[in-house]
Amino acid sequence: MKRSKFWILMLLPTFALVFFVNLYPLARGGVISFQRLTVFNLNNPRFVGWDNYRAILNDPAFPRLLWNTLVWIACSVAFQFLFGLILALLLAKPFFGRGLYMGLVFYPWALSGFAIGLLWSWLLNGQFGIVNDVLIRLGLIRTPIGFLSDERFAMFSVILVNVWYGIPFFAIMLLAAIQSIPGELYEAAQIDGAGFFRKLFSVTLPYIRPTIYSTVLLRIIWVMNFPDIIYGMTRGGPAGATNILSVQMINIVYYRNNFGLASALGMIITAILTIFAVIYLTLLERGEFEL
Amino acid sequence: MKRWILVLIVLLSVLVFSEQVTLRMIQVFTSPLRTKVLEDIISKFEAQNPGVKIELISPPYETAYQKIYLMVSAEEPLDIVEVGDWSLSALASMGKLLSLEPYLAKSELTKHLVPGVLEAARTYKGTAYLLPNAIYVKTLFYRPDVISKYGITPPARTMDELLEHCRNLTKPEVGQYGFDFRGKGYPTAFIDLVMTSFFDDIDPNCMYLKKDGKLIFEDPRALEGIKFYIELFKTAPKDSINWGFDEQVNAFASGITPYLFQDPDTVGLLNEIMKEGTYKTAPLPIGRGGKAYPTIGFAGWGITSYSKHKDLAWKFLEFFNSPEVNAYWCREYGALPVDMRVYEIDPYFKSETFYGWTAMFEDKEHYQFTKYPLDNEAWSEWNELHETTMQQVLLGKMKPEDALKTWAEFWKKAGLGRK
Repeated sequence: MKRSKFWILMLLPTFALVFFVNLYPLARGGVISFQRLTVFNLNNPRFVGWDNYRAILNDPAFPRLLWNTLVWIACSVAFQFLFGLILALLLAKPFFGRGLYMGLVFYPWALSGFAIGLLWSWLLNGQFGIVNDVLIRLGLIRTPIGFLSDERFAMFSVILVNVWYGIPFFAIMLLAAIQSIPGELYEAAQIDGAGFFRKLFSVTLPYIRPTIYSTVLLRIIWVMNFPDIIYGMTRGGPAGATNILSVQMINIVYYRNNFGLASALGMIITAILTIFAVIYLTLLERGEFEL
Repeated sequence: MKRWILVLIVLLSVLVFSEQVTLRMIQVFTSPLRTKVLEDIISKFEAQNPGVKIELISPPYETAYQKIYLMVSAEEPLDIVEVGDWSLSALASMGKLLSLEPYLAKSELTKHLVPGVLEAARTYKGTAYLLPNAIYVKTLFYRPDVISKYGITPPARTMDELLEHCRNLTKPEVGQYGFDFRGKGYPTAFIDLVMTSFFDDIDPNCMYLKKDGKLIFEDPRALEGIKFYIELFKTAPKDSINWGFDEQVNAFASGITPYLFQDPDTVGLLNEIMKEGTYKTAPLPIGRGGKAYPTIGFAGWGITSYSKHKDLAWKFLEFFNSPEVNAYWCREYGALPVDMRVYEIDPYFKSETFYGWTAMFEDKEHYQFTKYPLDNEAWSEWNELHETTMQQVLLGKMKPEDALKTWAEFWKKAGLGRK
């Protein structure tokens, strides 16, 4: 009896922490999403039922927002993964100066997303941007490209930056997994006459599969909830070309000062991610993969 | 041991009985330059008032309004709050700002205020909830060195001239353009300055209404205005659809776009990065309606209704608005002073840099000041809608007529122009 009480006591701090920084804000956001809460009535919010949700779902721009979010996630995560894997494979074998090289290629991960957004928005600036300058001097283009002001390029540009930013994460995680593969497996494959690609697809990838699944899931959730880069570069513009759900949520708070509406959008994002995570995990379990 | 206890008791009693009062003050438009000037003024005030300490809170500008709204609504300790024309109604409607009327009634300051400032402060329900310390009016900035290269002197006096100059200046192959366009981050005022210049009957109390009480967006002249604005955009780099304040200043300082509409706080910034005489100001170009309709923006300090040191806070507000301090503030930060005496004691505000403004203030026939419907709850939502729809029009994805229809519907729903 005494022991079980002690057990509860020990769990209490952790639970309190999770409750106050996680569960309570979530529940509060849920409540606010059913209220009309703007700066004009911060002290006397009133319940408006599903009005906020209806306003978001009926917005003619909503399908575009969803599509943009999907493109943003799919392209970002796919290329981050691909380049991250290549980088991890390159770094798996020791070579001279590897430590320094790793430090250099991993450093974007240590920067703040918003700072990266601002930095790249100047690099890609259609008028003063160094990227345009280099391209013109190389003779590849004649007039500067409006990377962030031309609708055709804006989404490509923000994804490019996000890929640049996210490669190190995959590289770090995959590299750790690759280094845990026992050397005997490669020796055995070598004896069986396997080449580079055979080894990659029959030894390396199957072995690190659990890491791949969990990191991809994590990344999808993070990238969906990662407005920093887009907000720093375009705020979702021009004319909504790069607007995704999480950026729209910030725009609602900062432009419209409508906290109820923003919370409703937040709840919608949470719902989408929950549904996605459940499906993803169920599929994985059916496939009998271990996570 | 006993001696130590005694020392401790003495120390504690000194701490308890010394009348150290701390005022907490929060600013909105934080920048390194501005914070330095503010701290300077605060230390002068502290030197004059022993025992008083002012703690300045400087949140980053992007999040400042949110932070203030939340702090004030939760009655977190704050005595002096920066209130801008755009946040006045929100803060005042929360009921957390102190009415300054009793103080103003007793103060000498009101006698010397520039006409219109007190009225502006009383935007919300006729009560002053702040004491403005600077006013902001947009004027035309231009680069004499750049435009003279293309044979242009003097600067544009009408909107048509402006467009003609900008078209002549625009030579993309050498990186030369005309108009310093604003596409992102509250472009509302820029669109409106151009559009309303096609009118001659704007309501002095509301930018979006005509004197007959109808919305400007339903008038054929608005269509003319928006089409003109699109033409101006063509003389700016295409990239400018994604330009905010920083990019505008950058393009102006580098000479790419020598014509810019901006507020006086740009002066402080330009003086830091440009050589004297490389930029000048002129009155806003007059439109086909024969007029221009600038608005008076203002910012100042308010006192929270729950402050424990209201009188002391007011003392600081008065100190801040005293002519010498106000002159220093407006000069360093770049703003138009609210006290008429400042224009007398400091010749700087009569210098050439301020020609654009003084000329506009004197010419009452062509320059008629009007107001934004800032006390309307829909105002903040309007800025988002205005920006996105305007971008769509500029990109050719929406017809100007449809944008005007959207805008008219928006404001009708918000209660404007229903007559």
